[in-house]
Amino acid sequence: MSEKKIFSLVGEKDVTRAIVSEFAKQFTEYVESDCIIIGGGPSGLMAGRELAKKGYKVLIVERNNYLGGGFWIGGYLMNKVTVREPGQEILKELGVPYEEISKGLYVADGPHACSKLIASTCDAGVKFITMTTFDDIVLKEENKVAGVVVNWTPVQALPREITCVDPIALESKIVIDATGHDAFVAKKLEERGLLKTQGFGAMWVERSEDLIVEYTGEVHPGLIVIGMAVSTVFGLPRMGPTFGAMLLSGKKGAEIAEKNLSL
Amino acid sequence: MLKKIFLYNGIKKNYLNLKKIKNYLEEKTGFKIEIRDEFINYCISKISVEEEKIKLIDKLSDDIARIRIINPNKKEIERIPHPIEINLEKKYILKWAEKPIGNFYNGFELILIFSNLIPKEETNLKYCHIVFTNQLFGTWDEKNFRYHARVVVFGFPTIISTTGLVEGPAKPREFYLKKQMGIDPLILKEEFKGRFIDYEDPRITEIMKGYVMQAIFFHLFGNPFCSDKNCRLYNAHWQEEVINAQLKGDYEFCGEHEGILKKIKA
Repeated sequence: MSEKKIFSLVGEKDVTRAIVSEFAKQFTEYVESDCIIIGGGPSGLMAGRELAKKGYKVLIVERNNYLGGGFWIGGYLMNKVTVREPGQEILKELGVPYEEISKGLYVADGPHACSKLIASTCDAGVKFITMTTFDDIVLKEENKVAGVVVNWTPVQALPREITCVDPIALESKIVIDATGHDAFVAKKLEERGLLKTQGFGAMWVERSEDLIVEYTGEVHPGLIVIGMAVSTVFGLPRMGPTFGAMLLSGKKGAEIAEKNLSL
Repeated sequence: MLKKIFLYNGIKKNYLNLKKIKNYLEEKTGFKIEIRDEFINYCISKISVEEEKIKLIDKLSDDIARIRIINPNKKEIERIPHPIEINLEKKYILKWAEKPIGNFYNGFELILIFSNLIPKEETNLKYCHIVFTNQLFGTWDEKNFRYHARVVVFGFPTIISTTGLVEGPAKPREFYLKKQMGIDPLILKEEFKGRFIDYEDPRITEIMKGYVMQAIFFHLFGNPFCSDKNCRLYNAHWQEEVINAQLKGDYEFCGEHEGILKKIKA
């Protein structure tokens, strides 16, 4: 009588081959995509989800090993996230339970909201490369943004003498900067004198959310700015720990990208 | 001699009732008052040549985008705005009621832009122009080196902001302490209800009567203010002072200013 086993007999080499080949297959396919989103926080996830739902090939580049950015916690390490009306409509769409705690203010569990958004983005067909840091932009004819240069995140964390690792480039028709206040992608344009970012202003939670959605847009041919990066590019008031604008700005960024991609 | 006062209505919602303000001013001063539409759109509507109108809107969009204050701690505001900013300003000129509040503009620069729009025949001291807006503006304070949000900036025209009324005069100190602790402003608003003027507050119309009166005193005498904390002409820096001067005082105007008003009416 043979010994009872729960899992199939697969050796170490098979596991390694599966990881390498599947990663390489996906990576090769996504060396070129319709849209690359830098930053896997709420605005980036939302933008990716919306575009992928419409059938576009989307790659999100995230420097950490986890997705969701600050959407896991609501501020001061407390894991309740808030949205103002009409942000709750997106929570509803994602199937996230929420509660209205005062007129126009809704609260949800951070882990629930964030995991649902990530799952929904994955379900829509977005692909990710994590632990990957944005390094530079690819500029083509007439300085149109046409891709990004990336490297492994750990490369940046180690001394230069032992990490002389050249980055690689990925191409796309559109790049979305969803890197938060850092606005890393927009700042690369600034370094080349192609854009001037203003830096974010003082915190004004009540009003900054509207402005972030309003100013979301294509700031340079091929580059759309969403989420808190909008605040940095246009010098808008700083936002507090509330996420409605991140979700709506992501949605608007996707609409703008879609319009460009369909031209 | 002042012949007529124009009140420009840049507030779509009914928390500001200019008819009530008009009636109040007529009764108090005896001056002729006319209510007009939103300032920029009113002035643009007076231009008959379509091409000129389009040119002016383009120029205004650029001019207004340029005077947005990015850093309240930096006096200089000179910068070249991004086309997205200019296009948004253009959109808001054409659809002014949809303009979100949250941007912060240089008040004196805004007056300069506005003064060039006033119809030529009304650009003299026989006419007083008072522009109501929900946009936030401020002026640079040389004492503490930063821009401060204002309810009113006096000039030709005088501009009055309903958002400035909420954000300009300081709220009770405890409000800011709790806000710094991370408590959501919506929750704090409930806790401090009544102690400051909020957006779309039903008290705004009554309060604005006092600010319009300050604009008229500025127009007539160059001095809009009074040192009496109970007089409607008091230059309030705290919300509680605004509420006291405009709503709770034992009298509307101090003896001196009441006397001036009587003389004006006579």
